[in-house]
Amino acid sequence: MRSSLKMRVLCALLALLMLSVPVMAGGSQESGSTSSGPVRIKIATWTSNPDQIALLQSFVDEFAAKEGIEVAAEFESIEFGEYNTKLSLELQGSQAPDVFWVLETSAPAFIESGLLAPLDAELAEYNPEDLSAKAMELWQKDGVTYAVPFSTSPFFMIYNADLFAAAGIDTPDKLVAEGKWDWNAFRAASKAIKDATGVWGYQTVDGGGYDVRILHNLCPIIRSYGGDAWTNDGQILINTPESVEAVQLFHDMVYVDGSVVPPGDQSDFFSGAAAMTAAQVSRVSKLTDVDFAWGVAPMPAGPMGDVPITGQAGIGAFSKGKNVDVAKKLVAYMTNEECVARMAGIWPPARYSVLESPDFLTSQPLLTADQMSMAVAGSIETGRVLPSHVMYPQIEVESRIVWDRLWNPNADVQAVLDGVAEVYAKYIK
Amino acid sequence: MKKKMTKLERGEALTGYLFILPQMAGFIVLVLVPLVMVFTYSFESRNLLFGNMGFTGLDNYKTLIGDDLFYMTLKNTVIFSLGVVPLNLVLSLALALYLGSASTGTKIVRSVIFLPVITSGVAWAIVFTYLFQGGEAGPINYILSLIGIEGPNWLHEKGWAMFAVVVSRVLKNLGTNVLIFMGAVMNLPQDVLEAGRIDGATRPILFWKIKLPLLMPSILMVMIVTVIGSMRVFDTIKLMTDGGPEGSTMVLVYYIYHQAFRTFNIGYASTIAVVLFFIVLLLTIAQWALRRRASYYED
Repeated sequence: MRSSLKMRVLCALLALLMLSVPVMAGGSQESGSTSSGPVRIKIATWTSNPDQIALLQSFVDEFAAKEGIEVAAEFESIEFGEYNTKLSLELQGSQAPDVFWVLETSAPAFIESGLLAPLDAELAEYNPEDLSAKAMELWQKDGVTYAVPFSTSPFFMIYNADLFAAAGIDTPDKLVAEGKWDWNAFRAASKAIKDATGVWGYQTVDGGGYDVRILHNLCPIIRSYGGDAWTNDGQILINTPESVEAVQLFHDMVYVDGSVVPPGDQSDFFSGAAAMTAAQVSRVSKLTDVDFAWGVAPMPAGPMGDVPITGQAGIGAFSKGKNVDVAKKLVAYMTNEECVARMAGIWPPARYSVLESPDFLTSQPLLTADQMSMAVAGSIETGRVLPSHVMYPQIEVESRIVWDRLWNPNADVQAVLDGVAEVYAKYIK
Repeated sequence: MKKKMTKLERGEALTGYLFILPQMAGFIVLVLVPLVMVFTYSFESRNLLFGNMGFTGLDNYKTLIGDDLFYMTLKNTVIFSLGVVPLNLVLSLALALYLGSASTGTKIVRSVIFLPVITSGVAWAIVFTYLFQGGEAGPINYILSLIGIEGPNWLHEKGWAMFAVVVSRVLKNLGTNVLIFMGAVMNLPQDVLEAGRIDGATRPILFWKIKLPLLMPSILMVMIVTVIGSMRVFDTIKLMTDGGPEGSTMVLVYYIYHQAFRTFNIGYASTIAVVLFFIVLLLTIAQWALRRRASYYED
């Protein structure tokens, strides 16, 4: 009886020990991380491309050598769709990154929240006047810089030249040369290809043009017709006659012409299932393995000219991080002239010295200098970022429900856009 | 008068407590503490980016009362549950009765039915997103076109999207309920069934008058679990429709996710979570009371 009791007590103590081991292990791990040694910098990005991570790592190594310190960088690649969710959670916990990328649409909220450290003192060392004032607008507040756009990348059109040849029509770059590349020509080309080959004429940006990328999809048309979603001074323009005309054009392409990959269809340009798509330089690498001839062109023009959307991404330092001083210096270093020149083929920079350099036009091996000049460099000049707002996440979630009404053949475009404007008006004053 | 515990009894009690300690520690850390935190957050203006902006009393609850999206998601949750629960119960009970009486091929059918349960929910949803593609690109629409029917754009048309999500969810979880019902069917008292047959009961009478009442405790238990499961659906919605079109598949849990992690409004998301907690609690209590009333032979 006594031995049985002893055995039970022993078992219970073992169970307790099993419970306490992970707790103690966690504790020892924590204490290990605070020991002296290299400065640990965690960098959050949404790229998982090994070449791109290696490039960023080389910047960290060079920075450490310059500063005469040892830096152990840990790169955390977060899936793009979950980036804001995971990053915001980490920033409230003990696993926060010291340096992180910021989406353009989140920039005002991140700046307002105080999570980004001011960078002006650190940037002073690297010729801040070289940074495009227009590109920096989104990342500054009251004259203080909170992040630096490492990518100012315009959207342009990539097309499948084989499908244009099969349909017997002129390619977009030929129409550009003739000054005829506008939204009506784009619509006609898309329909001609669908009618002649049965292949979709156009796939929206990353296939997300009906939901997560709706403004990336519609704003180039809307702005080139003289409309907009909203302006920085609080004017809501999404339901103006110009915006309605532009959205009606796209709606007719989907439901009258039937030439655009429709909502819910997963046909992809890069697998040859569509003749055109809107993309950025970072997507060009996907063309390496395609089995068709391709070309690039700027976004088509409207009555107000060619107004492409520029996608921006910034890099900033966590204001409450343990190594905030090193992090701020690292951000400034990673966005200096030499580093951004090496990134330019993937992420077009915001530095004049690099953009105006002949090397920029040959920085993307898959694009010729002429293509870079016509579709990328030229569009950086004319392009504008999407409208932003500190309440952008709320605006996006609520307006999405109204936008969905647009995607049926009988939708009343004006009524839907009036509904979207109502949602915008709740937040934009 | 309560008898004083002996040293031996105290030792045994201590042993027992030590044995349940790991489980209790897990429950306290992973369930109880978060639950208390959610209740606390529901009275705060708390944001994932801006942190805690202070105690706001019942403000979040007042916002919720005037929030049209909350009522829409509540309605969607009810529609989803009304689609999933009866369909799941009827199909799983029918299959369990068939498998309980069939003599051949039951192992293969059982495996096929249970396969979706052990399949990753993410993979299942992705496959169904592909199957339910609009136009002729979607395999389901292609099959329909062979018999002259033009299929809808399942996941992008209001009404059809909810239907597609319900079908996907029912097929995914059918196997678990079939197994539970099979256990109950196989344990039906054969003497009672035999007596019914001798008395001339036909198969429908045997089912409605004898088998169904005897299976009622299992049916109600499965119903409680399925209702709670349907109120907590997340992965299927996120991957197949993202709550659209027009918010028609935005259910409460997904709305909580939207508020917490897309608009960073943790305080308000916690308020909705508290309301959901009480809805599920009330439903469970109601069903439990029904179980005691409907199961005539249960104590």
